[in-house]
Amino acid sequence: MSEKLRVTNLVKTFGTNNVLKGINLTVNENEVVVIIGPSGSGKSTLLRALNRLEEPTSGSIVIDNVDIASKEIDIDTVRENIGMVFQHFNLFNNLSVGENIMLAPVELKKESKDQAAQQAKQLLKTVGLEEKFNATVQSLSGGQQQRVAIARALAMDPDIMLFDEPTSALDPEMVGDVLAVMKDLARKGMTMVVVTHEMGFAKEVADRVVFVDDGQILEQGTPDQMFEHPKNERLQDFLNKILNV
Amino acid sequence: MTQKIVKAIGWVTILLATFFCIAQTTVSAQAKTYQIGTDVTYPPFEFANKQNKYVGIDIDIMNAIAKEEGFKVNIKPVGFNAAVQSVQSGQLDGVIAGMTITPDRKAKFDFGTPYFRTGVVMAVGKNSNIKGFNQLRGKRVALKTGTAAADYANSIKKKYGFKTVTFDDSNNMYEDVTTGNSVACFEDKPVMQYGIKQGLKLKIVTAPANTGWYGFAVKKGQNKELREKFNTGLKKIQTNGTYDKIVGKYLGTKTNPKVKGKTFTIGTDVTFPPFEFANKHNKYVGIDMDLIRAIANEQGFKVKIKPVGFNAAVQSLESGQIDGVISGMSITNARKAQFDFSKPYFTSGVVMAISKNSKITKLSQLKGKRVAIKTGTSAADYANSIKKKYGFHTVTFDDSNNMYQDVTTGNSVACFEDHPVMKYAIKQGTKLKIVTKPAESAPYGFAVKKGHNQALLAAFNTGLADLKASGTYDNIKATYLGTDDKGSVNKTAANDSGDRSFIGLIKQNQGALLSGLKETMWLTIVSIFFATVFGIIVGLLGVVPSKFGNGVSSVLIYIFRGMPLLVLALFIYTGIPSLTGQKIPAFIAGVVTLTFNEGAYIAAFVKGGINAVDPGQMEAARSLGLPFGKSMRRVILPQGIRIMVPSFINQFIITLKDTSILSIIGLMELTQTGKIIIARNLEGFKVWTIVAIMYLVIITLLTWLSNWVQRRIKV
Ligand SMILES: Nc1ncnc2c1ncn2[C@@H]1O[C@H](COP(=O)(O)OP(=O)(O)OP(=O)(O)O)[C@@H](O)[C@H]1O
Ligand SMILES: [Mg+2]
Repeated sequence: MSEKLRVTNLVKTFGTNNVLKGINLTVNENEVVVIIGPSGSGKSTLLRALNRLEEPTSGSIVIDNVDIASKEIDIDTVRENIGMVFQHFNLFNNLSVGENIMLAPVELKKESKDQAAQQAKQLLKTVGLEEKFNATVQSLSGGQQQRVAIARALAMDPDIMLFDEPTSALDPEMVGDVLAVMKDLARKGMTMVVVTHEMGFAKEVADRVVFVDDGQILEQGTPDQMFEHPKNERLQDFLNKILNV
Repeated sequence: MTQKIVKAIGWVTILLATFFCIAQTTVSAQAKTYQIGTDVTYPPFEFANKQNKYVGIDIDIMNAIAKEEGFKVNIKPVGFNAAVQSVQSGQLDGVIAGMTITPDRKAKFDFGTPYFRTGVVMAVGKNSNIKGFNQLRGKRVALKTGTAAADYANSIKKKYGFKTVTFDDSNNMYEDVTTGNSVACFEDKPVMQYGIKQGLKLKIVTAPANTGWYGFAVKKGQNKELREKFNTGLKKIQTNGTYDKIVGKYLGTKTNPKVKGKTFTIGTDVTFPPFEFANKHNKYVGIDMDLIRAIANEQGFKVKIKPVGFNAAVQSLESGQIDGVISGMSITNARKAQFDFSKPYFTSGVVMAISKNSKITKLSQLKGKRVAIKTGTSAADYANSIKKKYGFHTVTFDDSNNMYQDVTTGNSVACFEDHPVMKYAIKQGTKLKIVTKPAESAPYGFAVKKGHNQALLAAFNTGLADLKASGTYDNIKATYLGTDDKGSVNKTAANDSGDRSFIGLIKQNQGALLSGLKETMWLTIVSIFFATVFGIIVGLLGVVPSKFGNGVSSVLIYIFRGMPLLVLALFIYTGIPSLTGQKIPAFIAGVVTLTFNEGAYIAAFVKGGINAVDPGQMEAARSLGLPFGKSMRRVILPQGIRIMVPSFINQFIITLKDTSILSIIGLMELTQTGKIIIARNLEGFKVWTIVAIMYLVIITLLTWLSNWVQRRIKV
């Protein structure tokens, strides 16, 4: 098992608000890591720091032996290898479903339109939306939009996928479809970092669960260790709250 | 015997009758031939040329006038004295012979309009250093016997302490100076000029002294018709340039070398009749206009009249945008600090005018009432100076019409105005009446910027003196104010006769309105283009990830959106030239003004439009590895522009409307055109209605066009 990503002493402050207080985290190749924690604990900030949508205040983020936190590297090329899926999908409203997926490959990989369209259709098929190629973004349901968003992220053929609560803006009946796509991805060996409140998904798919609270990692381990034998008191509180709602 | 007498009388009657008939038919069938006497030889006014043909300034002027007025002349070079006597005895109809108008001669002759100014000048050798009389002390000066020049030289001989030597003819006198025996000679200016033009190695170094005018003369009480024809003909050839050509032919070009051939830009008010206003051909006329043009003509410079409004004219002069202002401008001490004034050219007085059926007759009745005045006028100064004493308050307008209107509508009880202006307006139909005697006010003067354009100022003063001496000045005044004391206004000068219906007004002013519309459209199109470019650049600068760029954008928007358009226009048009000394044409100043002002608004909504796009869109694009520029272009802008389109359309319409504000810097766009037409015909309601409809029509068209574009974008 080779190491894909190593976060060392990551600190992020917004003004005087110390949001990440020295995070150390390693993610191995093909590993699925699920991040859990209470609201406002810094989960999104941590995830967004991994592709530098959030500029780290200090610390290092090494991906494939390259410190991407350093100012010298070209972050745009790094991002091509890191797919990201957002809570609110963020599909491009001015483009059709197909164009959403094709945009980056055509602009960045200089693929021909035909090639890109071919690939886009293929990806739509894997997320079960092959008939929506020409549809407008506005005509899709939330679940469909999120699956298109996953397809869009995959179009650049990334090594790592980041998910920030991909199902929390969805109606319950659509959650399953999205999780199915994600499980499928995990099975195919994608390295994934997922922030989610879907404990079922975590138990079933995660190789490791990481508990973040108040900008720190308080405990991490296999789903079994974390859910069945939590050691940290805060983790126990947290689990009590969400499992007994 | 008696029979014989009867017979004789009968014959004589028949003969006389026949004569009369013949005489009558000749008169009506062909133009009358007048017999005109002149001198034998008085170059350059009359002399025989190499072909023995009589030529010269007098001869050519007489012939040109005869041709212009359609009569014939037979010019007889009988000699000066003989000519004068023959006119007295009735053998000749008139005399033109370089004849100076003197009181003595006026007793015996009727003179036409003076046609040539003369005076005694001093000439020195080409390389001489002598510049004035005070350098003549102890030196020898050459004179010609019996001339006015010799008389003059003798009269100042003692004072300047020079000696004289007298010659019998001009050539010997000139020779004595060119050889250096004498240091200077005295001669009539035109004669000297002509000699120099013919190759004399002399130069004129003094201004004409003992100046006088040559006039065309007929016997007193006789030949009135010929004299009048001469006067109208002279005016015509003076205006059409023939006169200048004739004089130039013999004397070389114009008289004032410092301003000769130059063009000066002269600012004036939009409407201040009878001093300046556009006549129905939209040409600026009035006392000021005719005066400055006549002076320009006389002094050989050209003027470009800019009717920008009084305040704008004064500011433009201060900033050096224009060279001079003639605008019924009172010479006050305050203004003297800023400007150099000419000699006063008009003295008026301030009167109070009230509505036709008002009962106010005295200043004391104004207590607690509202009085209308016009900014920057001496009448306003006067009103303000007595305001406290009589306890009234004032409301200020930018142009006369609005001020009158305020009184006729009853908003104000009275207004104060210069006497001639008020009189003129009432003649033109303004429903006001004058109730006070003219009160003292400062005389009007022509102004240049202090310390600048001194040559122009000097030329104005000389020209003014000349026009006063020649009677042209009085003629100009009479054209607008009448000659009688009651000051009846010459109706033909400005009265816009004819149809006052909407159709009639449109027909009369079609040309002016269309060119105003064209100017408005041009201003709008050019300004929209540049404002859009400027606005998009500044707007984008506001959203790039650069603190510096954001700052620049915010500051630009803050400044140009925060400044009233009017202030910005005046600042750019009059302020910038003051700082840089570089003139800016009004059109460019207008475009720059709108570019900055409208551009700032555009920048603000471009920025706002982009910021209104969900930030998640940018994050998603960036997370895919798209650089900022590409993300902007492919994702953010297409969405932002849709948000901005309605604002763009709105801004285009505002730009079109805002062009009207640029009338302040004298741009002849639609609003300014309207103002000028109204200044002439005082049909405010109708003309503003026409102008308003024109604006609405183009705004409707622009809206349609924009909506069409918007639909195309939406799809
Ligand atoms: N751009 C920002 N500027 C200032 N403060 C921020 C910013 N983004 C996040 N924060 C603050 O950082 C803290 C952590 O936020 P973050 O979004 O990472 O929490 P989270 O764990 O993802 O919570 P949730 O479960 O509600 O999504 C919060 O207190 C938040 O207010
Ligand atoms: Mg979050």
